[in-house]
Amino acid sequence: MTFTRRTLLAAASATAILAQPFAASAADLPKNIRMVIGSTSTGGDTYQAASIVADALSDKLGVNIKVDAVGAVNGLKALERDKRGTTIMLFHDFAYLAELYGGKGFVNPFEEYTVGATIANNPGNAYLVGANSPYQSMEDILTAAANGERVRVAIQPGGVSEIGFSAMKNAAKVRAPGSEENIVPVNTGSQSDKNQAMWDGLADVINGSIQANEQFTQLDGDDQKAMRFVWITASPETLAEAPEAGMGKLTRDDMLDYASPKTSVTLDGTQDFTFDKEFFLIFNKDMDPAMIDTIDQALAEIYEEGEIQKKETAAFFTPNFRPSAEAREHLEKKREIYKKVISDISG
Amino acid sequence: MDILSFISPLFVLLTVGGTLVGIIFGAIPGMTATMAVAVCLPVTYSLGLDNGLALLLGLYVGGISGGLVPAILLGIPGTPSSITTTLDGYPMAKAGHGEKALRIGIFASLVGGLVSLLILDLFAPTLADFAIKFSYVEKFLIILFALSVMAALSSDLLLGIFSGFLGIFISLIGTYDVTKGGNGEWRLIPPGTEYWLEQGFSLLPVLIGLFGLAAILDEAETGMKAGMSQKDVKIGQHEKFSLSIFKGQWINLIRSSCIGTFVGILPGVGGSAASILSYSNAKTFSKNPEKFGKGEPAGVMASEAGNNGLTGGALVPLLSLGIPGDSTTALLIGAFTLQGVQVGPLFIGNNPVTWDAMIFAMLIANLAMFVMMYYAIRYFAMVVTIPKYILFPVILMMCVIGAYTINYGIMFDVWTLLIFGIFGWVMTKIRLEVAPFIIGFILGPSAEVYFVKTLESFGDLTIFFTKSWIAVFLWVLIALSVGGSAYLQTKKK
Amino acid sequence: MGNLTHVTINFDTSHLIFPTLIGCILGLLGLAIVIRDRRQLAASGTHWRKILGEMDKTRFFGTLALTVIYFSAMVPVGDIWPNTGMGFLLCSIPLVAASGLLFMRDRTAKKAIPLMIVAVAAPTLVWWLFTDLFFLTLP
Repeated sequence: MTFTRRTLLAAASATAILAQPFAASAADLPKNIRMVIGSTSTGGDTYQAASIVADALSDKLGVNIKVDAVGAVNGLKALERDKRGTTIMLFHDFAYLAELYGGKGFVNPFEEYTVGATIANNPGNAYLVGANSPYQSMEDILTAAANGERVRVAIQPGGVSEIGFSAMKNAAKVRAPGSEENIVPVNTGSQSDKNQAMWDGLADVINGSIQANEQFTQLDGDDQKAMRFVWITASPETLAEAPEAGMGKLTRDDMLDYASPKTSVTLDGTQDFTFDKEFFLIFNKDMDPAMIDTIDQALAEIYEEGEIQKKETAAFFTPNFRPSAEAREHLEKKREIYKKVISDISG
Repeated sequence: MDILSFISPLFVLLTVGGTLVGIIFGAIPGMTATMAVAVCLPVTYSLGLDNGLALLLGLYVGGISGGLVPAILLGIPGTPSSITTTLDGYPMAKAGHGEKALRIGIFASLVGGLVSLLILDLFAPTLADFAIKFSYVEKFLIILFALSVMAALSSDLLLGIFSGFLGIFISLIGTYDVTKGGNGEWRLIPPGTEYWLEQGFSLLPVLIGLFGLAAILDEAETGMKAGMSQKDVKIGQHEKFSLSIFKGQWINLIRSSCIGTFVGILPGVGGSAASILSYSNAKTFSKNPEKFGKGEPAGVMASEAGNNGLTGGALVPLLSLGIPGDSTTALLIGAFTLQGVQVGPLFIGNNPVTWDAMIFAMLIANLAMFVMMYYAIRYFAMVVTIPKYILFPVILMMCVIGAYTINYGIMFDVWTLLIFGIFGWVMTKIRLEVAPFIIGFILGPSAEVYFVKTLESFGDLTIFFTKSWIAVFLWVLIALSVGGSAYLQTKKK
Repeated sequence: MGNLTHVTINFDTSHLIFPTLIGCILGLLGLAIVIRDRRQLAASGTHWRKILGEMDKTRFFGTLALTVIYFSAMVPVGDIWPNTGMGFLLCSIPLVAASGLLFMRDRTAKKAIPLMIVAVAAPTLVWWLFTDLFFLTLP
């Protein structure tokens, strides 16, 4: 069945031809577009988000869009070299967080590139403790820190995995200045390293995700591998979009228990900190704005039709389309909040 | 198991077709099983879970197995896990026993695949619980053990070990990778080359540069003499092949399969370590270790049984913890999420049908691999009779494809090919050794992370010896391996 | 022995630990090699002169030159038709043909014809296979 792919493509292009011609006023996109992503994995969430949107755009616009998992650094480089719109990028909040955390070689994407539409959230970013942990909630963890207890949190430094940790430190500082010193990072890599850090007794809390860790929370308490959720960083608005059945035994209502406002990690004493991992498009700074408009319009129609939402929800994404201008404003605001959090705790 | 619930002609066809495509990918230098799975992953969406997995597992088994063909016939490892196959397979082919080497390799692959499948089927959850006892310390020692094979592969101990450490050193160039637990800082990048070397050199281009392009340069230097002609290769004059060649080697085969499976079970240790460790063990426990590296069939057996043993092993943590055992199984997670199936510690219990389907697909894939490759050997073996002036230009082109596509389109990877092609050629001229170099290069990054993380977490050097009985056992193995090589070296003199 | 074996790692500079360690070992091994093989090292000039003297310079440097041209041309050519893999296809055909002719000893038309067929067929097949069927990016 090696020709399945070809058959599929043929079918896809046939559909594209039959579909109503796209609004003629907009600029034509190149026939063959390469969508680079900020991850090197073709099995990960970025790749899935990218392929869902690439398929929909190909059908809508009648062009070929190929997703290439080249990774953050190489993706941004490829984007920088190509002004013609033949290379576009899909990435998530790491794009600006990397620069905020001082990641070597990373720049502010809002200045060096053109940030485009947001397409989906992954609401899964979460923090967990071992099943036998003395900590029942974030409240316990922050109180422990305030009482001078050292809480070790396993994260992958420099991006999405660290931002929730920074928020914990920030909350500790707001609640009891100085207690943020008691929340210490255990710098690890992949999810398997983070889990392992907990099982080895090197970490009290780990960063994880609903998707990857939910089954561990179903294990018996006496199993060394058993875990409990303590915090889901997504905003309540995002979680409201998640499927009601949730993931595994964790329903949407359960998720809301672990998220703001029920589980509060404060930002400044009045508001809660939340973090949605959002996927958005990035373009070369000198790419023809008319092409970006074309993509925005096509996406608007795609989301209007409603098919893509079903696909995204099925893959545990929550759809959140915002056209470029709106997305830029939203993401820049988000960046400002996190910038302050990061500078407050390092200050 | 209720086979009828998932098995269908389509299921079998997909497995067999996947295996075939996998073999082709594996046989092309620079194309790997991972890549085969990656390009076919999106197709599985429309196939449904069981059929999709059938295709992907076929690709996986085929891709790992196909690597032995160019490793034996051309001396170019088709995938990193067939490096140790090259060490004895290529000398065998040069001596005119290419067909025999292929048959040995394919049979050993089958044994490795089946043993690991059996282990997977019977012990998956138990083994996963055992695997999580391996912390940074034990993983570092496993890597150190694999590195100790550098000594065994050296013809001149001092120069060989120097080459190995040079390989480690060069592998560290670039960023201390955050996804492995590093801090994202750069090191060892010569000033002015940051733009290209920020991410360091990729393994695949280095590998095919050192083995593929360097071989072409070497031939060009000596003027592309006719060299190996049809006469030298005993094509068609069916060399007698019977299972008797495996006499006295069953222990080797089973041990190598188990080592491969075990390495697969440990997340993060990496697939290439499987065949390296099997090879090193086979040499340590062999009655005539001095023959290794000169065309010893036992070396081919160990390497191939080891890398196919990996296939079942790598599925253990995937299916019983939701953690991939190697880069290919990491992609399988994508196949599950595409279908909305959760992987984790409850996977097997929650999805008994899919679990059976996977075991069954692996079984079909292994058998299909064996049958297809066994009967295609004669055609494979003819590769070496193609005149060099046609063969080498095509190999060069294929190396470029492999290098360019391995990271989905990075031109620097193609230049890496050239850099290491020239470097490989120079190395042989100054008597540095390629095999220890590449092993150092492959294992260097893991050795670094596990070493530094051990010290970071435990803060004490004694932990390497005192962590657990596993650590002590690993030290014994390391001592045996190093001691064995040292003994051989002195005996040689 | 507590203190002797105790180490504290600063995460911010932890990227230098292993390179330093390996660098030191490499230095020591290098020193040992220099001491042991000093005679051969002193004679390395003649060693290389011998290699250069005996090599087939046309084929060796020809291969290098063709490879460099091939790699350099691929991206600019591919950029004319972005993301179609044309750069690979249009550069590989002349490369296979030219390097084949370079590698061929006593060139005859009888040998050149199959080469030319391969030079056109192999890149085309490979290009079709990877860009069309497997949907991979080529230059």
